[in-house]
Amino acid sequence: MNHWMFNCRKVTRMVSDSLDHKLPLYQRFGIRIHLMMCKFCSRYRDQLLLMRKIIGPKMDKKETNLSIKLSSKARERIKRLMQNNRNEVS
Amino acid sequence: MNNIRSISEKSPVNPDKWVGRYGDYLYRYTLVRVRDVAAAEDIVQETFLAALNSYKNYQGRSSEKTWLTGILKHKIVDYFRNKTKEALYHDTNTLSFAPEDFFNRKGQWKIKPVKWNADPQKLIEQQEFMKVLHDCLSQLSQRHANAFILREIIGEKVKEICKTLDITPTNCWVILYRARMYLRRCLEKSWFTDETYEETS
Repeated sequence: MNHWMFNCRKVTRMVSDSLDHKLPLYQRFGIRIHLMMCKFCSRYRDQLLLMRKIIGPKMDKKETNLSIKLSSKARERIKRLMQNNRNEVS
Repeated sequence: MNNIRSISEKSPVNPDKWVGRYGDYLYRYTLVRVRDVAAAEDIVQETFLAALNSYKNYQGRSSEKTWLTGILKHKIVDYFRNKTKEALYHDTNTLSFAPEDFFNRKGQWKIKPVKWNADPQKLIEQQEFMKVLHDCLSQLSQRHANAFILREIIGEKVKEICKTLDITPTNCWVILYRARMYLRRCLEKSWFTDETYEETS
């Protein structure tokens, strides 16, 4: 698909950029028109979004998240190691 | 105990209270990104030990929590970087790295994105998928991998990444573009489609 305004190479760059900062209006508009007509760039965009969804921080509901706690075993181990470490230093 | 008291008197930083105060927070922060209980515990442990070694340099410019989180982020990047060092370097030749190679001279797709068959909810849970991700990350240069991990896995702001990697925003966007293009292709090849399917026209 070679649109009059943006070609696929440019669109992929702009779609990537749009994940990092807000694009100027004409670019957003150009991308939207291009994506309506180009199956592969749409797919590319969906893939970047899916990738972010899969590998980004897995945030559940706040309550669920807050129930995640360091196990007492790990907690004790860390405290002990820190204590040893400080004794060595002193 | 005397020793501990003397340190805490000199400075408002009190390492004795770190685990109690920030342990759960740092652990949670790590687990939702690393998704491996043992690895998350280790990372938190390393963070506290590293903080212990460097807290004398801590100027108190940011809160204790922010400072510890900063160290933690580095440890998470290290974790993914170390993991990638363990991953075998294979198939490097079969995948193109430069985004330009995906397009012809007119800027049209040459290596076209393939439809992905996947249920994202299921993928999140799968350790196998994380392995493939590590493997794909291993094929990126350190700079590209670091930027990508900070941005997409840790969820850091571009502004912060620029500061960490000491690059301009434009540079950062280019790096992220290349890393994303490469990784989506790598995941596509190794996970989302059967190997036999290859579109090159």
